[in-house]
Amino acid sequence: MLKTLRLAAAFSTAVLFLAGMTEAQTDPGVQSGNRGTGAALSSVLANDNAGILTFFNDGLSRFQEIETVSGGANNGLGPRFNSNSCSSCHAQPAIGGSGPASNPQAQFISSGVAPKDTMPYFITSTGPTVEARFPFYFNRSGSANTSSPNGGVEDLFTVTGRSDAGACSLPQPSFSAAQAANNIIFRIPTPVFGAGLVENLDDSTLLSNMAINLNNRFGISGAFNHNGNDGTISRFGWKAQNKSLHIFTGEAYNVEMGIANLLFPQDRPLPGEDGGGATGLTGLPSTCLNLAGGYPEDTNNPGQTGSAILDDVSAFANFMRGLAPPPTGSVVLNGATVASSSISNGASLFSSIGCATCHNPTPGTTQKSKITGSLGSAPVNAYSDFEIHHMGTTLTDNVGQGGAGGDQFRTAPLWGLGQRIFLLHDGRTTSLLTAIEDHDSRGSEATTVEGNFDNLNSSQQQDLLNFLRSL
Amino acid sequence: MRFASSFQLGRLEASDQPRRSFDAARCEGGETMRSRCLHLLVAIALPVSLLANGQDSKAKSQPENGGDFSNVTSAVTKVPTGVILIKGAWSSASDSVTPVPEGGSVSNNVFENEYFGMHYALPSGWSERYEGPPPSDSGRYVLAQIRPADRNAKIRGNILITAQDMFFTPMPAGNVLQYMNYVKDHLPEDYKLEQPVTQTKIAGRSFDFLAYWSPVAQLHWYVLAMQSRCHTLEIVLSSQDTKLLGSLVLDLDKMTLPAEAGLTAGLGGGDAPVCIKGFASGDHVIARVDPIFSEAKFNPVPVRIIIDRKGKVKHIHFLSAFPDQAKAITDALNQWKFKPYLRDGIPAEVETGLMFGRAPPTIATQSSATE
Repeated sequence: MLKTLRLAAAFSTAVLFLAGMTEAQTDPGVQSGNRGTGAALSSVLANDNAGILTFFNDGLSRFQEIETVSGGANNGLGPRFNSNSCSSCHAQPAIGGSGPASNPQAQFISSGVAPKDTMPYFITSTGPTVEARFPFYFNRSGSANTSSPNGGVEDLFTVTGRSDAGACSLPQPSFSAAQAANNIIFRIPTPVFGAGLVENLDDSTLLSNMAINLNNRFGISGAFNHNGNDGTISRFGWKAQNKSLHIFTGEAYNVEMGIANLLFPQDRPLPGEDGGGATGLTGLPSTCLNLAGGYPEDTNNPGQTGSAILDDVSAFANFMRGLAPPPTGSVVLNGATVASSSISNGASLFSSIGCATCHNPTPGTTQKSKITGSLGSAPVNAYSDFEIHHMGTTLTDNVGQGGAGGDQFRTAPLWGLGQRIFLLHDGRTTSLLTAIEDHDSRGSEATTVEGNFDNLNSSQQQDLLNFLRSL
Repeated sequence: MRFASSFQLGRLEASDQPRRSFDAARCEGGETMRSRCLHLLVAIALPVSLLANGQDSKAKSQPENGGDFSNVTSAVTKVPTGVILIKGAWSSASDSVTPVPEGGSVSNNVFENEYFGMHYALPSGWSERYEGPPPSDSGRYVLAQIRPADRNAKIRGNILITAQDMFFTPMPAGNVLQYMNYVKDHLPEDYKLEQPVTQTKIAGRSFDFLAYWSPVAQLHWYVLAMQSRCHTLEIVLSSQDTKLLGSLVLDLDKMTLPAEAGLTAGLGGGDAPVCIKGFASGDHVIARVDPIFSEAKFNPVPVRIIIDRKGKVKHIHFLSAFPDQAKAITDALNQWKFKPYLRDGIPAEVETGLMFGRAPPTIATQSSATE
């Protein structure tokens, strides 16, 4: 073979790259056209499983409710929270999505949602909606104690000063101190379109995919995160730390909005507020407990009829399960619609250079569903393997969740990517190119694939970007 | 701005003295009530301008506690950026002297891997910008990722050096030839075969060579694989430029590899132990103690061990394990006793693999591994 190659080396006419000779590629950006995202599954719309459309619409309605602390129609907010409504964060491009262009958190102080708080330095009106975490507890000198992992959510706001919060008065976490110590990370909301299909993928399907995809020449080998209770594969959240949509929404209701519920029945103190980090604290002060007249603040309603019997968490989960996957659509770049051939070429490139090894276009077909027809025996075109992968030092957040370490993240499902504004787990960029580039770092499984992207010419890279914005 | 309500006081304290404000918010009586309320009075006396600073105000005193409520924003030790401090399941070894597969590195433009006895001078102008991820629980190592140092250069391509531990491979292959044929037979539809698996000589050693390309990406992959210490050592070259790929292959000829490397590798030449699949089972084992795990986890834990000439475990290498798993397994394996392995009637060291934890997924039933 070497002889042949020597000849090839001498006479090959293969084309070399001439960097800079072609026009630089451009992220087409967020696609504003109405693709119909946010609709219910077709079988839900057809009320397949009588009553399910009512469940869906009831969940959709509750998903948009504004929560108050006490005395209103929807109580239980706080005493700490990141937002007061599910849809305030899950809004782009439709209810159930990711963070919107205009961050509602930026208005919480001026609008009286958190009247006595100080706006965290990282919240801006045009930035991403986020939650914050401190990877490590502080020690007494103010430095982060890297021997004392924290990683829990540090809610941004408190109910302090609200007329419906009684005498509850709480300090906010020390965001500025965390910034000074480089001890703060952020997460943005994950969209939930098509989440019912993801929930209905059997573990055996995911395991089979894993084994097949281990046969790759890109150096990629993932793992699964697992639910600690039953040992099955968990799949929701940035680190695939949540097992089901009920768990996902129950935790979010408790952690993001401070509403105790049937799955998480207590009001949640901050990690350092319950003794973590050797604070000596023992939980929320009594003046901040029982603000809504008992626990759990969200429960079922046996005196009601129909969908009103359900607790909010169940209603939310019903809504999310019923959401259709985000449709694909055409792409507009610089005011002109991109040719479909560019998008199909980009899809082939996406697969050829190795992106699809993790961002699996179709990781499988769902099991039969007892909920509604569309959830059963359906392909899940999620562009994810739902594994966790080492993403290296650029993306690491040093937060461990379940079996996921500080640099391991679930392969972000890319369906709906065309209409997402903020990218990567912390919303650090709005540029697809930057997001791709950030896959390349020390310790990342995606370095070689990112290198393959770099090896494409500008026209090919443009096709790939166009394809991604078609999702 | 007046501070007449408890809500406003709460905000003041949240801004300046988190720990104290927390106490103040609880100024409910009891033995510490007087001191807590004293803090409140001190706080009330602060000027309004300071209050307006909110959480950006400078700390007036050291916090009594850490947790989430430090108020120190200067002269603190920062968490290093770009360092993975919180690790999940990761690789580790019982000693730092015995070479491990992931122990290689690029230094002075030379890739050295003591475990595989590999010495490879990188082509001129190429470098490793980033080292790879830790070994996987399926036995895959990324040993080196090499690219042109100048990312804007005309030359574009990748050199990826990996190893697949054949004790733990999910692929139905027992040796490198089966492995490469499996790769060839299961190329995704995006690729076209350019060269079926053929044997060739590189650096004086036997390699299997496979080539394929992507018509849409115009990218070509040249895959070269050999067997060493019951691993498939794989060198993957990729580029749109086949001339470049040819020159990279030629350059590999300057690589040096140990004497025992080749299609029948793993026979313990030189100082390398004999590698034998399944040696830690059956009649080979005289005494066995199972590890006691303190917590149920659900990950596969592949472990390579070296057994000394007297039948004791000499070295333990965890490809992927949480620290508590590694400790429990180490405690157990140190109590294992094996029948000494004899080669030509003389005791020899043996390297073998064990899988603890949850069994990893496999593609199909694996054929027997090469001894």
